This record gives sequence, C-alpha cells and structure tokens, in this order.
Amino acid sequence: MIKVLKEGLFTTIQDIGRFGYKNIGVPVSGSMDQTSAKLANLLLGNDESSAVLEMTLVGPTLEFMNDTYISITGADMNPSLNKQKVLQNKPLFVNKGDILYLSHSSNGMRSYLGIKGGFNSEKKLGSKSFYRGITKREKLIKNDKIKFAKVTSSPMKMNKSINDFKINRKNKINVFKGPEFDLLDSNSKDIIFNTDFTIGVNNRMGYNLVEPIENSISSIISSPVMPGTVQLTPSGRLIILCRDCQTSGGYPRVLQLDKSSMDSLSQKTIGETIKLKLV
Amino acid sequence: MKKNNIFFKVFNEESILIQWNDKVSIKLIDSIISYKNLIEKELKETLIECVQSINSMMVIYNPNKINSKDLINILKKLSTSAFIVTKKKKKIWSIPVCYDISFGIDLKDLSTLNNISIDEIISLHSSTTYNVLSMGFLPGFLYLGMNHKKLYCERKDKPELNIKSGSIGIARDQSGIYPQDSPGGWRIIGRSPISFFNVDDKSPCFAEPGDKIKFQSISLSDFNKIEKNRSSYDIKYKLL
Repeated sequence: MIKVLKEGLFTTIQDIGRFGYKNIGVPVSGSMDQTSAKLANLLLGNDESSAVLEMTLVGPTLEFMNDTYISITGADMNPSLNKQKVLQNKPLFVNKGDILYLSHSSNGMRSYLGIKGGFNSEKKLGSKSFYRGITKREKLIKNDKIKFAKVTSSPMKMNKSINDFKINRKNKINVFKGPEFDLLDSNSKDIIFNTDFTIGVNNRMGYNLVEPIENSISSIISSPVMPGTVQLTPSGRLIILCRDCQTSGGYPRVLQLDKSSMDSLSQKTIGETIKLKLV
Repeated sequence: MKKNNIFFKVFNEESILIQWNDKVSIKLIDSIISYKNLIEKELKETLIECVQSINSMMVIYNPNKINSKDLINILKKLSTSAFIVTKKKKKIWSIPVCYDISFGIDLKDLSTLNNISIDEIISLHSSTTYNVLSMGFLPGFLYLGMNHKKLYCERKDKPELNIKSGSIGIARDQSGIYPQDSPGGWRIIGRSPISFFNVDDKSPCFAEPGDKIKFQSISLSDFNKIEKNRSSYDIKYKLL
C-alpha cells in the first residue's frame, strides 16, 4: 500500500481510459499524456494499460507500506526518496517505510508514477481512471491509501532506463480539419494557422485558448466530440477538449488534434503558447 | 437509408464520423440505432465503440486491425445493404416530477418570457410523450424531444453553477434530465426524486436512445416519500 502524506495539487489514478460507455455520456478519461504513462509502465514490465498516478504541477508526498518497484516519467517534479534525489525514466526499488517527495514541476505539467503490477484501486465501468460521479474519488486526498500488487517475482534487471527520453516540448500542435472547418471564412482559417495561441484556463476537461477569432458559425445540433476536438465557442475563443471532456457538444468542431499532439499539449500550462499546424 | 444523404469523414487516427443530412426525426434516430446495431454485429473485432447522436454517429475503431479507407468501404456497404429497422417494442418510461416552484427555479421567468401560465407549462410538459434522442454532456444526461412549441426557449445567458441532481430542464425544443449535480444553462422547471445513473448497475442508465418518456406530475409530499426510498424505486414502464 501507499499512504498519501500530502496530496499535491491534483493527483489522480489513471489508466488508458474507459471504453464502451460514451453512448451513455461517460467520458473516456485516462492519462492526459498517454506516452509518459505508457513509458512508466513499460519500464517496470507492466502491461501498458496498468493504472498509474497522474500528478499535476505540484506533486504529492507518498509513504510506501511495502517493498516494490516504481518509475517516474513525464514532467520533472524533482523527485527524491528519503530526501535523496532519484532519477526519472528508470525503475527504482523502494523499501517499506520509504518516503517519496515530488515538488513543483519543471519542463512540463504532468508527471506519472508507475508501480510494479499497477495500482489496485476500484475499477468502475472497466477502468480505474478517476472521474466525478463514476469513481468514489475525483482526486487523491491526504491519508488516502492505495493498494498495489505484492512483488513476488525476483528483482528485475535494474539497468533498464531510458535516460535520453524527453517529453515533446515543441509548441507545434498537429491538427486535422474538423467536421465544421469548411464553414469558417478564409480569413478565420488564416488567423487559426498564423496565430501563436496562448494557453488560458485549463484542466482535464479542456484547454482554453486566449486569442479570439471571428466566429461566423452558429451552433450545431448536439454531436459527438472526442478528446482533441477543437470547438469554436460563440465568443470566438477556441477550446481544445481533453480526456475528461463530455461525449457530445453543440459548438462547431473546427479542428481535431492528432494523438501525439494531445500528449504534448497536456504537458503545457497557462501562459505557454502553441501554434496549430494542419497535417 | 438514402445513399446521397449520408457522409463519411475521417475524424482522427481512430474514428470515422458518419453524418446524415436528413431532417431530425424519430425515424432517423431509429434507423441510426439499427445501423449501429448492424455495425456492432459485423465489425465486432475492429470496433472499440459507436457513439450515436441525433443526426450523426462516431465509429471508434482499433487502427491496428483496419485502416480508415477499408473501414469506410465496409460502413458504406452496410449502410446501403437492405437492413430492416428493428421493430422492437418501445418502452415508455414514467418519470415522476414535482413541478413545485422551489424545484422549478425558472418556471416564473419562463412564464413571463413565453406569456404562458405556470399551470399551462406543467400541463403541456407532462402531457407530451418524449423520445430519448441521445445521451451525453454528463453520464446519463438524457436529451429528450420535442417540447410543445409554446415551451420553446433559448438556454439561459448565464449558466447556473449548481443545478441539483434530478432537475428537469428545457432548452430550445428539447427537455433534459440532470443525473447529477452540475453547472448548466437549461431552464429548470421541476425535479424528479429518483436516481438516474447508478454506476454499479449492469446498465447504469435505465433508458436508451429510441425509448420514450412521459413525465408524471407529483406533489411535494409524494416527492419526499419517493426520495426517502429512492434507492429501491423501480422506474415503471409500459411497452408500446
């Protein structure tokens, strides 16, 4: 078990997501940066769909109640084990009683903590990903205890590490044309691809972009949306929907991010800029 | 389905959007449901899920098993093949609603706005048989059509921050049920005491698109009685 000594800013359990329930309005959820989460699992020899911790901007402090192996990927939260600095992107052995500290993130927004065998938290509708109204918790709080599998196999080779792995920090975001893209006038299209958009308020549901464009498209009949759908709101501001987004919406869907751009976007925070590029 | 009214579009690396240019109707929704059932049967191996909406459907697939071009070809074939709209008996669910002013926080405004008495709003709303058009927005949120034209209204300019679970709202020509506490912009005319989404049930939501719903006006004291035992309340339905 892990005991949460400090919860951090927004720490959740995530996996690859919840599938098959969009028809009744249940979002897909799952890790925002799927590549980093997958890497955390691969380093430990886990199935890539195993549950990990997603830690946002300020990481938690965690006490281990059993021996196990862990891995930390994604943004750099300056991790230390019993006040000793430890490396990311590498399997680490932890002893019962060890305390892991994660602080403010640099070079990214979200870190992932993988654990040998994955976390054994409650599974709802096929996934352990936290979501309000589906799982009991929407985020971890102090004194929560999270179960994980007992390490029974012999210790793994500890030389497995990916030191040169870096999360994608480029500001280029690849997009496809969305279903309502062609309703935009040519001026708006120009602006979309020639503006450095500043990231505004954001969370797991969506990223608001600050710079408005002229909106000449009216609302559409409520239609399916996906993580990565870029909606144009009546005020002319763009919203990029993320993993916890609703399953349908009535704003025009002007663009759609590709999957790897979703991973890079989820490492960006308020005030950073992005440039949209048609692929 | 008429061939020239249906469009297929690659949405991203793992989904195809199918869109109908027909007028929104119950007939269209029923044929989208039949088409969805056919896709789910024929493409079991490659499909992740189909998300149906009022005049469109998202087909999410495993790109390791099929490419978008081949999938679109199969989807096109399935759409033109003469499938029969399943003549399944439809359920009409009876949903108890208390239209008391304390729950229907927008009844007064709507009455002024549409120049209609509160009694008439209640009587029009509870005498209409609604169709479940789709679900979305929140887990178990039901989009229901269509409101009597005297009830037509736009969403509120400023959404409420906390609409209570069970609230019944109207916006444009649709009604909706809030299955959990949530912000929202629909005009709230009443509240149901029952639970609309139970994550531990085999089917977390009682209804599905294509079903029908009729609201039954109940008193405040009935509301309280039902709410006390809401976990054991069985939502009643008739077969049409």
